[in-house]
Amino acid sequence: MALISTRALTKRYPGGVTALDALSVEIGEGVIGLVGANGAGKSTLIKILLGLLPATDGGATVLDLDAATQGAEIRERVGYMPEHDCLPPDVSATEFVAHMARVSGLPRGAARERTADVLRHVGLYEERYRPIGGYSTGMKQRVKLAQALVHDPRLLFLDEPTNGLDPAGRDEMLDLIERIGRDFGITVVVASHLLGEIERVAGWLVAIDAGRLLRTAPLSSFTERTGMLLVETEEDAEPLAARLVGRGIDAVADGRSVVLDLATGGGGEYAVYDALRDEAVDLGLAVVRIEHRRHQLEDLFRDGGVDASVA
Amino acid sequence: MQASPESTGTIYDIGYRGYDGPRLGRRGAISAILWAGLRSIFGMGRSARSKVLPWGAVILAVIPAGVAIAIKVLAGDIIELYSYDDYLWQTGALLPIFVAAQAPELVVNDMRHRVLPLYFSRPISRLDYVLSKLGALTLALLALTLLPVLILFFGRILAAEDVLGAVGDEIGALPGILGNGLLHAIVLASIGLAICAVAGRRAYAAGAVLALFLIGSVTSGIFQEQGGGLAGVAPFVHPLAIVDGAREWLFGGAVDGSPVASAGVPMPLYGLAVLVILGVTWLVLAIRYRSVTT
Repeated sequence: MALISTRALTKRYPGGVTALDALSVEIGEGVIGLVGANGAGKSTLIKILLGLLPATDGGATVLDLDAATQGAEIRERVGYMPEHDCLPPDVSATEFVAHMARVSGLPRGAARERTADVLRHVGLYEERYRPIGGYSTGMKQRVKLAQALVHDPRLLFLDEPTNGLDPAGRDEMLDLIERIGRDFGITVVVASHLLGEIERVAGWLVAIDAGRLLRTAPLSSFTERTGMLLVETEEDAEPLAARLVGRGIDAVADGRSVVLDLATGGGGEYAVYDALRDEAVDLGLAVVRIEHRRHQLEDLFRDGGVDASVA
Repeated sequence: MQASPESTGTIYDIGYRGYDGPRLGRRGAISAILWAGLRSIFGMGRSARSKVLPWGAVILAVIPAGVAIAIKVLAGDIIELYSYDDYLWQTGALLPIFVAAQAPELVVNDMRHRVLPLYFSRPISRLDYVLSKLGALTLALLALTLLPVLILFFGRILAAEDVLGAVGDEIGALPGILGNGLLHAIVLASIGLAICAVAGRRAYAAGAVLALFLIGSVTSGIFQEQGGGLAGVAPFVHPLAIVDGAREWLFGGAVDGSPVASAGVPMPLYGLAVLVILGVTWLVLAIRYRSVTT
């Protein structure tokens, strides 16, 4: 079942900037990576889905509710962690998260109970009674996550959740996101421009660029085997490539390596391996490494010419 | 999951528990913001120091009523220290101080530290948020604008020799007491909140509120003394005088020393001025909160 579905969703800001351009996508359960460069439209998409921003054209439903008209109902069952700092410095995490739980509609007692639970889950213990102003960036990110989680949402939007964290804090945040998706059974949409991080936690990927859908597919399909074999040799690989081509196999040499297509040669994958072995032995060429070529997540953006940084 | 007896002392991860209980939605959210606002205004759940000013102001506002009742008990009807009409004019200086000290707490932090997007990503609208805050400040102000006068009202009844007769005498003043208290509270809350919403920091907000009322009061006093045409303008440069004029227009009862007495302008003008104040401050609030990006 699609938890989120958009139909030709378009958002043009006054002044002519098009943030979303006829975006149609269906998002199911699990941990979903919403990837794109800064300014690709990720935050705009989240705000429209929360019913906070009207679309210029097209529409969207979240949990089968219309984002344009049923925003309040959506926001009751959805959690949102913004990218920027959003915590008051002079109250404690306990007090703040409990207040946010009540603003989400939880009764007083439930708000208090769930606050204690959720702060423990995100890893805030004794310090939760101290004012937030004295927290480290990592602790503040946890409070931001806790306030998004405290009302037990069906769906969680996290906007650049690892922003400002050091490598250790980043790992902990990613582990937490993975746990929320896997153990808590909450669908998490993680918006990020860091492909390396998304790759670690997401099971499904929605890639957008300049407000348009680039691709949406399971993460595995982005990184699956390509049917190409990379062979590294100790010396120049040109003679090997030439012999393989002579056997009808697509092979391209590049210095001390050759890339060959397993689907060619007419004898199936194993015939290609055999041919490779025989020709290498015949030439007395030492093979250093053989590996399957995989798609790289970055390939996705390479064609579009997008500057997608990698963690 | 269950802790086995031999491993007591271990903290168990009991796993994630969902929530299937009631969700109160927008109504719950509004009442949560309102109550949290009231608690913060009166320093509840905060240090003793943050209770001093709000509770001190309430006590100072109530003391004259207590004194008046004590005198009535001791001396009978010979001296009447305060009437229902002039009570708020006499204790009025407390109101700007209370607003300046407590209103910034209510809205400035949410704005300055960008907490508002967290509110707006919950089942409320921007209008709900502003109205909840306005409601909290209005209710809090009633402790200064209504509570003391009600104490005076009930004190006078209970201190009378003929209690039932006193009820008959005093009851007619009740609508004026309630109306005046509410009028003061709403106008002061609107002005205070609008200034705080525009000011970026708590200190600026507090200073601006105090300045508005202080300058208004002084200017009004000078105009009043100058007499002539300026006396007619005098009440309209001071918010508390405008409210006092509106009170007199609605419920009657002139106040000695108020610029309203010497202004001699048609009374409905005060009603109009109150509407202008509310219109402008609410417009400021609407524009300010509409421009908050989520």
